[in-house]
Amino acid sequence: MPDSTATPAYSLSIAAEASAPRSGLLARAWRVGRRRPAALVGALVVLLFVVMAVGAPWLAPSDPVRTDWSKIRKAPSWAHPFGTDDLGRDGLSRVIWGARISMQAGVFSILLAMLIGVPVGLCAGYYRGALDQLVMRLTDAWLAFPFLILAIGLVTILGPSLTNATLAIGLGATPTYIRLTRGLVLSVSQEDYVRGARALGAGDLRVMARHILPNIVSAILVQATVAVPTAIIAEAVLSFLGLGVQPPAPSWGTMLNAAQQFLEQAPWMAYWPGLAIFLLALSFNLAGDGLRDVLDPRDY
Amino acid sequence: MFEFLVRRAFISAVTLLLISLIVFAGVRMIPGDPARVLAGTDADAAGLEEIREKYGLNAPLPLQYVRWLGLAVRGDLGESIRTRQSVAGTVATKLPITVELACLSLLVAIGIAIPAGVIAAVRRNTPWDVLASSLSLCGVSVPNFWLGIMLILLVSVRLGWLPASGFVPLTEDPVANLKRMLMPALVLGTGLAAVLMRQTRNAMIEVLSADYVRTARAKGLAQAAVVVRHALRNGLIPVVTILGLQMGALMSGAVVTEQIFVLPGFGRLIVESVFTRDYPLVQGVVLITASSYVLINLVVDVSYTVLNPRIRIRGTADAG
Repeated sequence: MPDSTATPAYSLSIAAEASAPRSGLLARAWRVGRRRPAALVGALVVLLFVVMAVGAPWLAPSDPVRTDWSKIRKAPSWAHPFGTDDLGRDGLSRVIWGARISMQAGVFSILLAMLIGVPVGLCAGYYRGALDQLVMRLTDAWLAFPFLILAIGLVTILGPSLTNATLAIGLGATPTYIRLTRGLVLSVSQEDYVRGARALGAGDLRVMARHILPNIVSAILVQATVAVPTAIIAEAVLSFLGLGVQPPAPSWGTMLNAAQQFLEQAPWMAYWPGLAIFLLALSFNLAGDGLRDVLDPRDY
Repeated sequence: MFEFLVRRAFISAVTLLLISLIVFAGVRMIPGDPARVLAGTDADAAGLEEIREKYGLNAPLPLQYVRWLGLAVRGDLGESIRTRQSVAGTVATKLPITVELACLSLLVAIGIAIPAGVIAAVRRNTPWDVLASSLSLCGVSVPNFWLGIMLILLVSVRLGWLPASGFVPLTEDPVANLKRMLMPALVLGTGLAAVLMRQTRNAMIEVLSADYVRTARAKGLAQAAVVVRHALRNGLIPVVTILGLQMGALMSGAVVTEQIFVLPGFGRLIVESVFTRDYPLVQGVVLITASSYVLINLVVDVSYTVLNPRIRIRGTADAG
């Protein structure tokens, strides 16, 4: 794409295009959606999973944790489209409720990472000097812990639960946000409009909040759409290993853990939870690619 | 260049020091008496006293840290609560299995990603590119442990081609060993391949539009020669960096893969030690993994500084 629209200040480009900011963004979303139908489908599927997560109590045909000894490991049928598990629980209901746990872990962990990472990266990039050096070396050290090893370490200290798994995933993703934000701040700080604001006597906080943050927020959001599917898979991995959500709560990871023991007798137990993780992660990635085009045409 | 190397080594040393601080602080955050944490719940008074003595647990925290670090640097990471064997020794027996798995996965990943990435870049915007990019997207999105379970279901349970689990040492029976390592390596390799393929494609697209590639084409070189000799060699430089940074993901992946295929490696060791509350073992494994990540990336950086004339010359110019 040519560099003709390569001004990072949205207020300027919007003024040049002579259209209102809202309709500009929506119009661009429409154009991107038409050019990339896969992104649109991805966004719709993500939405579907959100509806599933929110509406689980009404959508699930039966109680996801109620066991039934007369229905142990029944193959898929009209009554139980996804079959039943080793304790006679309905597979479909558990997959639907599992969406709630996955979404919770995926979204809250990345929110936590952004909540810590963005301010820290903002300060490091803005003030530079010794503070920046200290923050960068700390993130270097933090990043050296492979994610799962870090999560295992944290869960060892805190004990396994959904909250602690979310916390571990969030803390694992934090350095990425610190580095990303810092890098963006470093480049944006050199722009004339930031220098101008400073020359006009704006305080540090005002420059950061009003002039720098709005110009880097889209890149941070795009990173979030890439990070959420990774976090969703991470929660599934932790729960699969027994370090996350504890049974009988219906998490896709714990369901796969149980399924692994009955691969020969009840393979359907392994199909659906894994397919759900795959579909949700894939849709998030597709939608994220589209969002990148909508928010940041320069990067395309 | 020398200055760059010294600076790079210094940063790594600081990072290692910070890692040790984080691990030390982590163990101290475990609720309860640190002597009890390190000796285990069934240790007697004498055992507790021994641990207290060894780590100087009655001294102030900074002194305790220095003492602990001194022991760790000399390879003394304490002993496992469960087996009473030294942590370093236990890790050393498990490590070869994980290293073999990692190497095989790297082979799988490179074998898939580099050709696919090159084809996607050379045949940009053709169905081949779309196919390769879609597969890469799927590879990033598919949870590896599920892929592993599905593979076991298909290859072992349905077709009966390969054993689903168990381990035979490489030195004992190389064929049986490879039979059991093939599926794990495939599972661990595909995730990495997806990431690498994207990087290779992007790097190659950039390199293919460079002036020297146009010159090579202009002087009449065949397409294959241009792509392999001129573009690929330069295009691979950023890919090597990404490969170094992906080592962490590879180690995380190894933990899960070993769990699914019941390989008695490093990853299984750490998961087991969490469940048995074997804190010294967890501490040792975490410390070793993080440190090796830093060292691997130091080696990657240094080796291509030495190999890449562009960085070498620029480094010297900066120093002068």
